[in-house]
Amino acid sequence: MELRDLVSGSKPVIVPQNATASDALQSMIDNKTDYLLVDRAGPNDAYGIVTRWDIVAGAIANGKDLAKTPVLDIARKPLVVMNNLDLDIRWVAKKMTNEGISRIAVFDKETFLGFVSDVDLLRAVLVKTMTKKGV
Amino acid sequence: MPVAPLILKDFVKTWELHSVKPDDTIHTAIQKMLEKNCYTLLVPRKDKHDAYGIVTKKDIVSKVIAEGKDPKKVKVKDVMSKPLVILTNLGLELRWVAKAMANSGVSTIAVFEKGDFYGYVTEMCILEGVYNAMRRARLEQGAEFVSC
Repeated sequence: MELRDLVSGSKPVIVPQNATASDALQSMIDNKTDYLLVDRAGPNDAYGIVTRWDIVAGAIANGKDLAKTPVLDIARKPLVVMNNLDLDIRWVAKKMTNEGISRIAVFDKETFLGFVSDVDLLRAVLVKTMTKKGV
Repeated sequence: MPVAPLILKDFVKTWELHSVKPDDTIHTAIQKMLEKNCYTLLVPRKDKHDAYGIVTKKDIVSKVIAEGKDPKKVKVKDVMSKPLVILTNLGLELRWVAKAMANSGVSTIAVFEKGDFYGYVTEMCILEGVYNAMRRARLEQGAEFVSC
């Protein structure tokens, strides 16, 4: 099982840099997604990512006002990236543990393929065990 | 502050990294570091499905020596960090490179361009980059350095 088997081609929803946490939450609910890509200012800037968990742990748990918290305060920036598509999923899981994250951006050379999430990982493992059993 | 932002390409080190085998002892790794005067060693992978690892002076100091272990008995594979923390955007601003290091809690980041290994960047590179930028800014202002 390799990294290339995990990548789903779905496009992430983008939120502008100057958005607040409540904008991000609104956008997550509207688009039925649990993560958003934070746009960058130019080629020298980095993309960021904000997940449902960031809003819970970074803003709500600290008693911050969502409407006044900029999304960049709770987002993770820059992204964690991987570019070796042949990598065994063991190392993808290890990377997530090392970094304490649930989503990794995957690039093939220069093209962005998509994100790999912890759920993608679990699904892949499930499929693998089911095929082994011959179900 | 300089006018042009300081980007990753300006301060990345493109020297080749020396490598050390995963089954070598830390003793060998320390020896190699001091001989080559290079405090970051690459741990090669077995096949294409495997990941590269990296062992730095920080790993050795904090995971072997501070724990009171014998460097001759501990193997490289037990202290290395694997997989590598990487960056792929050579135009990234210095601030975000530093932020990536802080987020991941590492001291060395491998840099890839178009899928190929390009170089690596360490904490020292960041400091050198900041220092160079400061110095350049002052020279451009025409400030005279009275040294020697």
